[in-house]
Amino acid sequence: MITAAALCPAPPLLARELTGADPVVPDLREACHQAAVALVASQPDVVAVVGTAAKTMGWDPGGRLDLAPYAPMLGAAQPAAGPPVPLPLGLGAALLDQAGYAGRRVLQSVSPDEPPAQCAELGADLAGLAGRVALLVMADGSARRGRRAPGHLDERSAPFDAEVERAVRDGDLGALLAVDPELARELMATGRPAWQVLAGALAGTRPATQIRYAADPFGVAYLVASLHVPPP
Amino acid sequence: MTELEGRGDAWTEEREATKERPSDEGRRRHQAPRKRAASTAPDPVAPGEQSAPREQRVLRLGRREFGPRQLLVMAIVNRTPDSFYKPGITWDESAAMDRVHQVVTEGADIVDVGGVPAAPGSDVDATEEIRRTAGFIAAVRAAYPDVVISVDTWRHEVGREACAAGADLINDSWGGLDTRLAEVAAEAGAGVVCSHAGPQTPRTRPFRVAYADVMADVLDRTLALAARAERAGVDPARIVIDPAHDFGKNTWHSLEVTRRLADMTATGWPVLVSLSNKDFVGETLGVPPEERLPGTLASTSVSAWLGARIFRVHQVVETRQVLDMVSSIRGDRPPARTVRGLA
Repeated sequence: MITAAALCPAPPLLARELTGADPVVPDLREACHQAAVALVASQPDVVAVVGTAAKTMGWDPGGRLDLAPYAPMLGAAQPAAGPPVPLPLGLGAALLDQAGYAGRRVLQSVSPDEPPAQCAELGADLAGLAGRVALLVMADGSARRGRRAPGHLDERSAPFDAEVERAVRDGDLGALLAVDPELARELMATGRPAWQVLAGALAGTRPATQIRYAADPFGVAYLVASLHVPPP
Repeated sequence: MTELEGRGDAWTEEREATKERPSDEGRRRHQAPRKRAASTAPDPVAPGEQSAPREQRVLRLGRREFGPRQLLVMAIVNRTPDSFYKPGITWDESAAMDRVHQVVTEGADIVDVGGVPAAPGSDVDATEEIRRTAGFIAAVRAAYPDVVISVDTWRHEVGREACAAGADLINDSWGGLDTRLAEVAAEAGAGVVCSHAGPQTPRTRPFRVAYADVMADVLDRTLALAARAERAGVDPARIVIDPAHDFGKNTWHSLEVTRRLADMTATGWPVLVSLSNKDFVGETLGVPPEERLPGTLASTSVSAWLGARIFRVHQVVETRQVLDMVSSIRGDRPPARTVRGLA
């Protein structure tokens, strides 16, 4: 069962190497680091990293972040320490490394086309991996939160992200499962399937949430949270 | 010219040093296998030869050391009333010191102080040249203990006084005419810039100058001067070579040495280029001195890409930006701040 979960965004700029001389988002990175540290502190038997990528599939647990697709000269200078995996899983793996986690890990991607029920089922499967499972969910909100946002402004983005944040804060798993995949796609909220994996994994629990970061410095909603699951 | 060797003698000395007979400006040189001075210095590498390129090494100037991938800005501070670019702007000593403050703030690594314009003009003897430069260099040294100071002179007497006042580098723009200059640099522990001035004597303009192969001539001359400086006792880590754009060259020649600058950087000696607002830029683009910055910066960018390490300039800020950009394209410098497409 799930003993703890963490929610972090997965923008490339979370990788310190990619923002040049300027750290740009030190507070965001620190919040993610603290969330990973808290996750590791829950003494899990296994940590499952979940993130959205083209296909729903498991990846080599030794997989690591590959910078090359985002910065070829950095990729050439610092080849991945393990088989390359999709960005959210690579960023999650890096967070676990930085938190000093060397235990068993599972890297699971989920397709943007995966329906909510299948996402929830995948979450339940992950929860059954071991006696103590920690979940690191790498998921982003809408990328259409302003005129300078990657997807320009869509007025629906603010209420959409506010509702996701409320659901996470309140442990309202039903609300996360109810997020409309089509609306999420229109709002460029790539984290939708991963949130629903989280909801499925936590089914039947009442998590206590600490929001560590919630902002949109570049027009994309970033939410960092730690979810503690009390024993039944 | 009492204190100087005549140009012919200097050339003769170099020909002997390179075990070659004096020839007409080196025009036949490409026709025969080229022999060079025995030296621990990097071997000359000529176009078309198969010599392996030598790696660039650490450059020492004054108290500072610069790695092979660092690109350095040398800011021009003329102590002259009649230089070609903005004549007389730093003739006044306080104006000159203001310019030093400015260029250091703007990121110049080296301040190059000159007391005699390159172009023909009223006579400036060694005493007057010393008067214009040495005291000023002492003042710059006092204000900036760590900044690298170079003195732009062809006269050993001036070099000696400048080094005594705190200069770290003798920028011998006229290409080794005064053979004692290297000795002075060696005595002072200073560095020296070995330039190719072609057949010109100081403060003359090129007159119908011709080369069978201008880059071959540049390599011959600068490498021979570098070898001579090393024999005179100059620390090889303090020796720089310079093709000397516009000096003994028409615009075609300066374009050619720019295009083939990799032949110079492949020798392993650090290469200085002095491109700033020069006539080859003006003639190429058809613009007067005050409109030559874009052409100067384009030449700067190409030269940096081909491996030049020191850039002697009037405009420090713009040059620094160009060099930073080239460094980042090469992968030697992280961008200042990257967010685009990464959020």
